[in-house]
Amino acid sequence: MDGGFVLETRELTKRYGERILAVDHLTMRVRRGEVYGFLGPNGAGKTTTLRMLLGLIRPSSGDALVLGAAPGAPTGLARIGALVETPAFYPFLSGRDNLRVLARHSGVPEPRIEAVLAEVELSARGGDRFASYSLGMKQRLGVAAALLKDPELLILDEPTNGMDTAGMAEMRTFIRSLGASGRTVLLSSHLMGEVEQVCDRIGVIRGGRLVGEGTLDELRGRASLRVRAEPVALAERVLAALAPVEEVAALDGSLLVTADPTTAAGINRALVEAGVAVSELRQERASLEQVFLELTQAGEEGE
Amino acid sequence: MRGSISAELLLLRKRRSTWILLALWTALAMFFSYVIAYIDYRNGDPGEGPGYTPTLEELLPDQLPGHLSGGFPFFGGVFALMLGVLTLGSEYGWGTLRTIFVQRPGRLQVFAAKLVALAAGLVPFALAVFALGTVSSYAIAWNEGVAPGAPPLWDLVRALAAGWLILAVWAAFGVALGLLSRGTALAIGVGILYALVIEGLISAFADQIGLLEPLVQFFLRANAYSLVEGLGATTTGAATEGPGAFSGPFVGGAQALIVLVGYIAVFLLLSGFLLRRRDVT
Repeated sequence: MDGGFVLETRELTKRYGERILAVDHLTMRVRRGEVYGFLGPNGAGKTTTLRMLLGLIRPSSGDALVLGAAPGAPTGLARIGALVETPAFYPFLSGRDNLRVLARHSGVPEPRIEAVLAEVELSARGGDRFASYSLGMKQRLGVAAALLKDPELLILDEPTNGMDTAGMAEMRTFIRSLGASGRTVLLSSHLMGEVEQVCDRIGVIRGGRLVGEGTLDELRGRASLRVRAEPVALAERVLAALAPVEEVAALDGSLLVTADPTTAAGINRALVEAGVAVSELRQERASLEQVFLELTQAGEEGE
Repeated sequence: MRGSISAELLLLRKRRSTWILLALWTALAMFFSYVIAYIDYRNGDPGEGPGYTPTLEELLPDQLPGHLSGGFPFFGGVFALMLGVLTLGSEYGWGTLRTIFVQRPGRLQVFAAKLVALAAGLVPFALAVFALGTVSSYAIAWNEGVAPGAPPLWDLVRALAAGWLILAVWAAFGVALGLLSRGTALAIGVGILYALVIEGLISAFADQIGLLEPLVQFFLRANAYSLVEGLGATTTGAATEGPGAFSGPFVGGAQALIVLVGYIAVFLLLSGFLLRRRDVT
């Protein structure tokens, strides 16, 4: 594996019987120290992929390396913290005792339990039974469990699930801080805003395949200019003749101009000098939601 | 490994069902072995009537190992079966297997730790019955005004070991059933069905249908009763009546020991294989 990647999959595939292809030849790489967003609609294969990376399920074909080890190998697991799907703990134990069980299995010193409980603000309720926790508290205990080993790599599957607005905001800040502290985070989510706010790079998965990958800027593509002007035909001719303009397209009574947004002032001046009345000129860029829908629906139309 | 064992012991200790099973098993064992038996003795004549009436000697401390061992092959076994099922079956129900499997140890280490904790957890199940049995038998001796002789220590140790081994076989069966069904309800249901219906009925018919006898000789019930009988246990009493009844065929003590240990090995190898190979969803 390349030294810059902490996680790498090659043609990873999971098939259930003949009919269900949950993950389809997935190839992805997560760089050291980045917060990688694994974005996809429900049922896209995110959780199945994460389970394969953690050794919980066996791939049908393909392979993966996580921190240089095969998925599920104790050497790798010792450096990974994970929260997969809904947090699963022993309902008859307190939050603290649940962490104690995990700490003993992992060889983590017990004082670390109080540190992670404090980190997720559960110290005061740590002695209560897990069964009495709200969904948000269960989620926070799940994150505490993931942090217990002070891991290099965190794999978090929908960590804000069930949290209220304030809790979600706190969790996002927290994940961001994990990334800033040098940890690598693989964050699986179907929430665009979450991924947009938190992640350095994003992989979009649909039907078990990676259909897009890049930084937020790369995925959203180049910005363009939206021009609303009269008369439209004259404006289109003037724009088409300008050097910075690569392409002009009429759209909903306005013009979509492919050009470097920093040339907007010059374009405006050229239009005015040509006798065109410009009522609107603004920079426009696809939102992540638009990109996501485009990527995740493009294949479905043809299917 | 020590950390994993310590984690599993913590789980076993904090699980309420462990204590409920222990309390029920010891209470039932005392009720049938001493309370009912003593009332029966006080009200009836030994050797008369349709049921078995114990003699006073059987209820005294020096007969303790044999008197109590007869309760392990069936009644104790069913409690151990449930404990075995809960050890792994409930992990599927709560989804905690995936939480544990993403910690540092490998699957087989977790499995081994669970087995060590379960084996340790069965010790009080055997000890508690003998401890309370001692108190009960001394109480009967005192009430009857007879001198309470002490049971031979070696007999007591062998009875304890045999009791623990029988519980361990049933617990291993429970572990395998819990893993096969990935849950608790079906596993306990199938386990009790097997103990009561399959082994119970086929054993009962073995007297009449000679073809069944070789099969019955490999049943848990036959080998467990044979083991305790070889140690001097009275397999009359509770063992001749009710769902745990067994009237033979008995096998030699050595064969019983080998078959029971063989069952443990088969159940645990199957369980380990399933746990290691299967996806955890």
